[in-house]
Amino acid sequence: MRRIEIILSRLLWLIPTLVGLVVVVFFIANVVPTDPARIIAGENATTEQVEALRAELGFDRPLWEQLGIYVRDLATGNMGRSLYTQRPIADDLAHRLPATLELTFAAIIIAIGLGIPLGVVSAVKRNSLTDQVLRVLSVSGLAIASFWLAMELQMLFSTRWGLTPLNGRISGFGPDEITGFFVLDSLLTWDMESLGGALLHLLLPAVTLALPAAATILRFTRAGVLEVINSNFVLYETAMGLPRGLIIWKYVLRNALISTVTQIGLIFGVLFSGAVVVEAVFDWPGLGTYAVQSILQSDNKAILGFTILVGVVFIVVNLIVDILHTFIDPRTLK
Amino acid sequence: MTGLKRLLADRAAAIGAGLIAALVLVAILAPVLAPFPGDVSEFHLTERLLPPDATHLFGTDRMGSDLFSRILFGARITIAIAVIAVGVSVAIGVPIGLVAGYYGGWSGGLLMRASDIFLAVPQIVLAIAIAQTLGPSVENVILALSATYWPFWARLVYAETRAMKGQVFIEAAQALGASDFRVMVLHILPNIASAIIVRTSIGMGATILTAAALGFLGLGAPPPTPEWGRTISEAREFLPEAWWYAAAPGFAIFLVVMGFNLLGDGLRDILDPKIRRGAK
Amino acid sequence: MRGLPLALVAAALAFTGAAGPAAADRYVHANNSAYDTLDPHVVGDVARVATRLNFYDGLYRWVDNPPQLIPWLATSHTVSDDGLVWTFSLRDDVPFHDGSLMTAEDVVWSVERMLALKRGASTLFLPVLDPGATKALDDTTVEFTLKTPSAIFGSIVSDIYVMNSDLVKENEVDGDWGQAWLTDHVAGSGSYMLDRYDPAVGFIGERFEDHFAGWGESYYDEIEFRTVLETNTRVQGLMRGDYQGLDGYLAPDQIARLRDSDNVQIIEQESMRVFHFAMNNRRPPFDDVNFRKAMAHAFDYEGFIGSILQDSVVRNPTIIPNNMWGAPKDVEGYTFDLEKAKEYLDKVEGPIRTIHIGTLAGFSETEQAASLLQNALAKIGVTAEIESAPWPVVNSRMQDPEQMYDMVPYWKSTYYADPNNWIGELYGARYIPTRNVSGYDNPEVNARLEKALVSTDQAERQTLYEEAARIVYDDAAGIWIYNTKWYGPYSTEAAGIRFSPVGNAQDMRWAHPAD
Repeated sequence: MRRIEIILSRLLWLIPTLVGLVVVVFFIANVVPTDPARIIAGENATTEQVEALRAELGFDRPLWEQLGIYVRDLATGNMGRSLYTQRPIADDLAHRLPATLELTFAAIIIAIGLGIPLGVVSAVKRNSLTDQVLRVLSVSGLAIASFWLAMELQMLFSTRWGLTPLNGRISGFGPDEITGFFVLDSLLTWDMESLGGALLHLLLPAVTLALPAAATILRFTRAGVLEVINSNFVLYETAMGLPRGLIIWKYVLRNALISTVTQIGLIFGVLFSGAVVVEAVFDWPGLGTYAVQSILQSDNKAILGFTILVGVVFIVVNLIVDILHTFIDPRTLK
Repeated sequence: MTGLKRLLADRAAAIGAGLIAALVLVAILAPVLAPFPGDVSEFHLTERLLPPDATHLFGTDRMGSDLFSRILFGARITIAIAVIAVGVSVAIGVPIGLVAGYYGGWSGGLLMRASDIFLAVPQIVLAIAIAQTLGPSVENVILALSATYWPFWARLVYAETRAMKGQVFIEAAQALGASDFRVMVLHILPNIASAIIVRTSIGMGATILTAAALGFLGLGAPPPTPEWGRTISEAREFLPEAWWYAAAPGFAIFLVVMGFNLLGDGLRDILDPKIRRGAK
Repeated sequence: MRGLPLALVAAALAFTGAAGPAAADRYVHANNSAYDTLDPHVVGDVARVATRLNFYDGLYRWVDNPPQLIPWLATSHTVSDDGLVWTFSLRDDVPFHDGSLMTAEDVVWSVERMLALKRGASTLFLPVLDPGATKALDDTTVEFTLKTPSAIFGSIVSDIYVMNSDLVKENEVDGDWGQAWLTDHVAGSGSYMLDRYDPAVGFIGERFEDHFAGWGESYYDEIEFRTVLETNTRVQGLMRGDYQGLDGYLAPDQIARLRDSDNVQIIEQESMRVFHFAMNNRRPPFDDVNFRKAMAHAFDYEGFIGSILQDSVVRNPTIIPNNMWGAPKDVEGYTFDLEKAKEYLDKVEGPIRTIHIGTLAGFSETEQAASLLQNALAKIGVTAEIESAPWPVVNSRMQDPEQMYDMVPYWKSTYYADPNNWIGELYGARYIPTRNVSGYDNPEVNARLEKALVSTDQAERQTLYEEAARIVYDDAAGIWIYNTKWYGPYSTEAAGIRFSPVGNAQDMRWAHPAD
């Protein structure tokens, strides 16, 4: 089976890539000899206290030995403790991952909901005014700094007009936790107040995040649809007298969807990059805020954990996309 | 039609080229154009946070400096970061991709696997990690961006080179006894140049956005550098009252990135007829 | 398909109306940093003081302004003549949250735990108190035997947060002193009991009805401390009524706009938090008093305080806060005078190089102060470069004589209300290089500081600190700029906020809803 072969080889590559990533990021995090022990010990610690802590935490060992320990711990899901908060990094990341994923999924839904229909319209009405406007908008969507857009939207909708919440995933604490996805959890526990709050809080950050992704999808969809429209079978169907609208939605859209799915990996990347800064603006308690906090606290170890987790998420997402691809577009099996 | 004429005939591309030309001009002429060139480092504490008017076109910032002047000077930093970071990435990535693609085999595979590692996470994530460890400065932002961007070029050139290698004219050149180096530089490179040029334009835009994000997160230039991303983050605590403070640098970033993206699209149409847009 | 998202949005809109403002007996505070841990022995910073003050009690407690120590878990204490043995009498009626009574053994265990973990407030105790030197004489008496006499020991026992030792021991894992468990659990006797906690969100405390100190007529039944990192969001949230209180050290621009809001009251208090530039006195040309004086005359005090901070703070001529005893009253601060600066600069022997100023990323005031100095120095021909870095990095570099910047602008907050907190720790040789980051070492000053540290005669101590402050001032060992005012931004629905420079009004047991 060709499909299984492809999946297996991808899975095999996963391990060296991950190990490579860990090694690269570990050394990045240690290029500059900062003194983590001093940071942990706090601002009033004496020199002796710092020395003692350094030995206790193993920071006095050679770097390769520290790497060995890190990789060994990592294999058991242990990313060590944050230099600043002393909390287990893996727990903190796991706790924040659903927040980021929820935001990203919401953004993907919005992006697809905007990108595909507009892309089809743009292609069908090629070179019309609508097309021109949409193309300008799609180029613009990719040119806006997402943190800036986030700030401006927050300023208008939350501060000036008071229509949306200022920050966070929900006002205070969320619904009883089952999956960590607030929308899902509040549905499962039938907590309508939390559901409303969660959705309203999602609105601005998700829209901010979705715009560049929607622009990307619009462009791909437009290109994909144009290719199909210009291809022979559509000409043939038209000649057979099928209504144009039907042709477009039946054949063209299917192809457009395929091209979107194949680009989901890329779009996920666009969204995730945006999430880091957009979360910071909206105080969204996800991975991005965690990373930004870790930067401010110079918490190399937390940043290391964050980077590795993102790497894992990415590799897995791309793997899934590749596998899906083999089903949707059997040509890839050749 | 020559390339330039065709480029200018495409409205979008012409606008893009115009925006970039304006950026370059502004950067070069900043000391002349800026009404208060000293405001890059000078303060007027009695004139803090003034809204835009005839004297201060974009208003003033938290230190009473003229934002318009500072935005103009910020263009220099933006250009420097984008040109150097993309330049270095191309200079590293292209030879690696070329060699790996040309020779193939396990060493080529190894190089590509190495680039896979870097491409496994979004660029900004690795760039954050690097910039954070090195400490905030323009140089370190450039370093972080270059170190994380080269694999992208290596990938691109690798794929193009692989596709090119089987072509008849390459095999002919090899048969005529041309050295590998000669084949790579004189035969393959010119043929994949268009792909590189198109991606460079779009890559400049992406790099400017990433650099601004790093500046926003406090990983970029120290104060009082008029870097655009940093200016936006400075402006945060004065919103919504001082709306002009964040608006000006945000629009500046938008226009410049837009310029590079439009130009990139235009160049693609001209240089790469296979994917000519809209099939007019 | 299209209808569904719209319906959801409509539902969302409908429900936010229902949620409305917080109930009146509930207090929501927006805090500028995250509550990573609830363990009172591992953090000592002001930003996370709310967990310590509301979940736990100390031997004494700081209240009001000027700060006063009031009896708390302990009712009184005695000190032996040699100043080494401190004996505290404890209350016998202090219940922990689980109902069990506190004894001297709990105090001893808590002290040992704090010393063993070597974090948080332990850094104040370790120089004078060894592990094993604390004893329970009986259920209500605890005795500390110090290594060296310490006049300030009485001021820092407020930081001995007492834990329910039996409860913690039950949850101890591999001799970790219950660290893992106490990260997200509380074992205290404090005014509030833990209800919910999420390090990414904050915590909710529920009033502990049986607290030993009793309760007044009015109080908050529930307090919620929420992490909101963005200053602007905190300010906007308070104006909208999402929160009832914020941290009190906001920029004047923020205070000004809060004053304009009908929902907000600003409680003003002079605090004890001195903003200053530490200068690396060890490194040329900073080892030359003339160069340091040139620096002191090159800072635009008036511009900074008057324009940037809009007179929201008061000038503080020395390192000791004006409102602290021991601050010399007759000292006039250095003035912004570039002529004078130039004169002093000309007297400097040896070359003058580019100087490096480290600023605190995210604290824009430090950046603005450094930019202002850089700007003035350029006019007298001195080049300054600014390097911005996160506080942990700056702090770690400051404590390393090799890596210390030439100058760093930062605040010295109140950890205990005694002049030693400022002049002793910043300019006494015994604190080099950890807290005396400038490496200033003057025998004249050291002699006075050491004497003041062991003397029990208040009048003598005051004279000693005043003298020391004058010498340090004449040496221009740093640039001292202002003493902070505390502007507590609260909802008009809140009352009874009790401010003390130690703890910054986050001890919520005194507060209550306005009538």
